[in-house]
Amino acid sequence: MRIKDKFEQLRRENRKAFIAYVPYGFPTEKHTKDIILTLADAGADLIEVGIPFSDPLADGPVIQAATSLALERGANVSGAFKCLGELKGKIDVPLVIMTYCNPFLSFGMDKFFRQMKSASVSGLMVVDLPIEESKEYISLARKFDIDTVFFVTPKTPISRAKKIADCCRGFIYYISVTGITGPQDFSYGSLASRIKRLRKLTKVPICVGFGIHTHKQVKEVGAFSDGVIVGSEIVSFIKNYSCDKNFLDKLKNYIGQLKN
Amino acid sequence: MKVPNKRGYFGQFGGKFIPETLTCCLQELEDTYKKVKNDKKFNEEVAYYLKEYAGRPTSLYFADNLSKLLGMKVYLKREDLLHTGAHKINNAIGQILLAKFMGKKRIIAETGAGQHGVAVATVASLFGYPCEVYMGEEDIRRQRMNVFRMKILGARVIPVKSGSRTLKDACSQAIRDWVTNVGDTYYLIGSTVGPYPYPLIVRDFQAVIGQESRRQILKKEGRLPDYLVACVGGGSNSLGLFYPFFNDKGVKFIGVEAGGFGLSGFNAASLIKGRVGVLHGAKSYVLQDKFGQIKNAHSIAAGLDYPAVGPEHAFYKSMNRARYTAVTDKCAIKGFNLLSQVEGIIPALESSHAVYYLKKLAKKAAGKIVLVCLSGRGDKDLEIVQEYINKRAKGQGARGKGNREKKGERR
Repeated sequence: MRIKDKFEQLRRENRKAFIAYVPYGFPTEKHTKDIILTLADAGADLIEVGIPFSDPLADGPVIQAATSLALERGANVSGAFKCLGELKGKIDVPLVIMTYCNPFLSFGMDKFFRQMKSASVSGLMVVDLPIEESKEYISLARKFDIDTVFFVTPKTPISRAKKIADCCRGFIYYISVTGITGPQDFSYGSLASRIKRLRKLTKVPICVGFGIHTHKQVKEVGAFSDGVIVGSEIVSFIKNYSCDKNFLDKLKNYIGQLKN
Repeated sequence: MKVPNKRGYFGQFGGKFIPETLTCCLQELEDTYKKVKNDKKFNEEVAYYLKEYAGRPTSLYFADNLSKLLGMKVYLKREDLLHTGAHKINNAIGQILLAKFMGKKRIIAETGAGQHGVAVATVASLFGYPCEVYMGEEDIRRQRMNVFRMKILGARVIPVKSGSRTLKDACSQAIRDWVTNVGDTYYLIGSTVGPYPYPLIVRDFQAVIGQESRRQILKKEGRLPDYLVACVGGGSNSLGLFYPFFNDKGVKFIGVEAGGFGLSGFNAASLIKGRVGVLHGAKSYVLQDKFGQIKNAHSIAAGLDYPAVGPEHAFYKSMNRARYTAVTDKCAIKGFNLLSQVEGIIPALESSHAVYYLKKLAKKAAGKIVLVCLSGRGDKDLEIVQEYINKRAKGQGARGKGNREKKGERR
């Protein structure tokens, strides 16, 4: 399913997107497929799959530890595409890859997009690739019909936010706080008004991520945006319970609790 | 060709590959730097502190004994004589004045050997800033005295436990801090690495090394040197020396990278063994595996222990303006001993790489004038050298530090 169609569906149903993040290869490569299937089954509207990088500048301790374990256990870009390819036809939820410049560029942009296409991955976000460095990236993504997700932060002036929105296809990733990933509290008031201002300038859905770790936050942030992204919280849950016998059932319940 | 160009590129290297949160503060930094760069008052203030506080100009010493031994004329640019014992203070003074101009309230930095950390802690103390320095746990172990120096100077040293627990990870952690506290914090980067405009700013503040050297050698020899030799980690002392000679086509540049255990083993020779990639915001040569994961670097000199290199060096390499070579740990120790025993100058292990290379250069440069950047003094390294010599004596081989080998394994 395409991201655009998903958001249209959500709009019709008057719902907000619940986007779940999971790092590929954590705690092992074998887990990733089951985790993604479970997240989809539990009602995640989009799934963001992180391809680990050894030096994740925008990630807090939880995701750092998870991705570094994944790398230690041999996770790599090729493996990620193989895993995602095996999910093809098994889930009806758009997949988005999140990664950093170096694994992406090192693999080769063209080859990366080709693999995304054949694994039916809808979109891509590259954390350390700002719009100024993205000319070739965007035109190639359009050629392969891959959605490009960029980030807007509380520090982004509105004029720049508009430029970023124009480069986004699929959705805009609005970072809630100036900081790295991981649980934090932030003020809804100013966030809501900033999103409202950006809303007037773009039709692209705006989803909020970073720091969101409770059901209450999911609801409250969902009220003034088009969706929320939960990352570190899910990673912590996987870390704590992946050895349990009925881990996938627990994960499903837990996502249900966060979401509904 | 204007280098760097508007987008911060040195040829095809450099740029700003950073999380969105940092784009605006990098723009602020770039705008401010453009403003102060040609500001008379700002430059006078930098010059004042360099002279009165840090001890510039440093001498260009004709190393008579070494010259006789090697059969060429060797001049040492004595950055080791500066306050805090290394060239790092040049950049620290420049950038802290920039931070002051920008009205920042807090200083953060990364450090490898601790020389940059000490320089930052020093100027933070001088100008009354709270200062936090990120340092890998492995480096904290290797450079205990520098950690203590920073603490005495009032800085807080924050151990970094992620990744290889060295300079690369300290740098990542400092950037994470900066992303989080972007409003009032100034990130005082220590080398010609990172996103634009840092590679430019650091090079400009270090260019005083080359500017002085150029004047001094002209006065002493009446002509320019044939070779400039400097060690290259991130690249700040070498670019500081090279850059002012950029248009002097007859002057050959030689950058000496850390060969570590050898070029087929663990090393920090990014320009020789790396491939183009992106680390810490810049496109340059990076030590990486085939999937783009950053490899752990290794050098006996903590200040060279970095798996990438400043983009301007990558540019010099691409246009053959500089030649890059590598010297192993083992040979660096030889360089360390050589200068100590022949000239009575104990060089930093980083600079010892450049010193050792002179022995190789001597074979083809008889009678030539060679100017070497002695980027720092070796007091900080005495323990490491002692440990290395003891292990060698016990027959544990040239590899030296056992636990460092483990560190280099696939993560």
